[in-house]
Amino acid sequence: MSHQTDTDSNTMVTAGFEGDVKRYLRGLGGLLAFLLVWWAGAMVTQPSYLVPGPVDSAHAFFDLFATSTAIVVPIFGSELVLPTGVARLAETLFHYVPGLLLGASCGIGLGLAMGWNGVLDDWLRPLVRALRPIPPLAWVVFAIVWFGIHHTGAAFIVFVGAFWINFYGAYGGVEGVSSELTDAASTLGVERDLSMLKLVALPSAAPHVLTGFRTSIGRCWMIVVGAELFGAPGVGYEIINASNNLAMATSVAYMFLISLAFLCMDVGFRLVERSVLAWR
Amino acid sequence: MAMSEISATDQESSEKITIRNVSKAYESTQALEDVSFSVSEGEFCCVVGPSGCGKTTLLRTIAGLDDPDSGSVLVGGDPVTDPGLDRGMVFQEYALFPWRTVRGNVRFGLDRPACECADCEARVRELIDLVGLDGFEDAYPKELSGGMKQRVGIARALAVDPEILLMDEPFGSVDARTRDRLHAELLDIWAQTGQTIVFVTHDIDEAVTLADRVVVMDADPGTVQSTISIGLERPRERTAHDFVDHAAKIRAELGSPADASRYHDFS
Repeated sequence: MSHQTDTDSNTMVTAGFEGDVKRYLRGLGGLLAFLLVWWAGAMVTQPSYLVPGPVDSAHAFFDLFATSTAIVVPIFGSELVLPTGVARLAETLFHYVPGLLLGASCGIGLGLAMGWNGVLDDWLRPLVRALRPIPPLAWVVFAIVWFGIHHTGAAFIVFVGAFWINFYGAYGGVEGVSSELTDAASTLGVERDLSMLKLVALPSAAPHVLTGFRTSIGRCWMIVVGAELFGAPGVGYEIINASNNLAMATSVAYMFLISLAFLCMDVGFRLVERSVLAWR
Repeated sequence: MAMSEISATDQESSEKITIRNVSKAYESTQALEDVSFSVSEGEFCCVVGPSGCGKTTLLRTIAGLDDPDSGSVLVGGDPVTDPGLDRGMVFQEYALFPWRTVRGNVRFGLDRPACECADCEARVRELIDLVGLDGFEDAYPKELSGGMKQRVGIARALAVDPEILLMDEPFGSVDARTRDRLHAELLDIWAQTGQTIVFVTHDIDEAVTLADRVVVMDADPGTVQSTISIGLERPRERTAHDFVDHAAKIRAELGSPADASRYHDFS
């Protein structure tokens, strides 16, 4: 994520087409250099499974889409046959998406409420301080005893991770609402607290809320893979599953897949963010 | 000079705003101490004073944004308890909603349930036209200059047709030329709408340019030093003798020249 921000600021420094070309060429150079080092490293390392080379990994990646796998859609229970890579990604998304959306909604909801209502803030702040430092993956044990380590359990862990990031985004956003804007709204006839929240606090906090959500997209990918290492189905599980068979190139292929999935979501959300926050 | 002139019971009928023995303290400072004066219906009243004389606090008290510790503010004879659509406010730093366009900002008050307008769209267009922002309806505040932002601020406050317009150093952050133009525009608008205006400034020339009457305040504690009527024809020339005399009179009220650096007078 910080990498993305860097390129953003570079765009402003070296504006213009020429600067862009230079920047892309450098980026391409960096990638090629890395591939070269990787390839050379893989050549000299024995046994070969310690570092699977880029060519083997690329093969493994394309294999993910050359074979197909049947998965069960949760809740509906129907079976779906998809290319293996897509199937594993879908399995991950079955707990990633509900966990992220539910965690984000609850986190944003509580963050707004606590940031807006001082009494609620007084009540809950110490509790929040105590619970916040617990890493989401530590909840794995409860995910297992409460839900079992399948979609629901993994979704729960993702939920915890999404919850806190979004909570702090919304909380900070509402706390930062300028009193001048709420004063202006009061003199323009906003009387009820709920109207003030809707008309002033929410739009004013939107940049923070959206940044929180975008951060949680990335964080939850890390968390979801962690949860799957404990046995929930999906790309994370396949990474460890492949390595158990010493098919390390396949592990690398799944790692690519995660990176690709994250990049797509991040770019997509940035576009949404840019259009929603055009006023900034 | 005597303290302020008016006691509350005189001329109650023409008094739009009555400030009665208002005191307000913040942690260590006495922002307002026993302040009393009144503003007549349709009057353009400027409040001048050094930083920390409580002039902004006074304005916020009239707006209903701050409660006085003691004393009361009456608007049209009724005590002020909360902000209301009868008192529009223009802020020093504009306080525009950055996520709303010019049109959206002007429209804000019109969309409140307490406000009724037969044709809100037309009203918004009329106001944008009034403050000379045609063509900028869909611009966001970040795209506007300071002067344009404050035009939006004024249009937004005027939208709900308040009887009173409260202005807190509205032109303090715009350059001198723009300020002159905004003065002329504000006087035009006032001539059209006939609102009662309370205008806070630390710029003596600005006060003499605009006001029917200038309330001079002193700081620490914030008290009313005197009130001075400005009976000059408009538009007023800053270089005219009468203008200079009035400005000098206010300057003398504010303090001796040796002391003048205390006052942020940009004239």
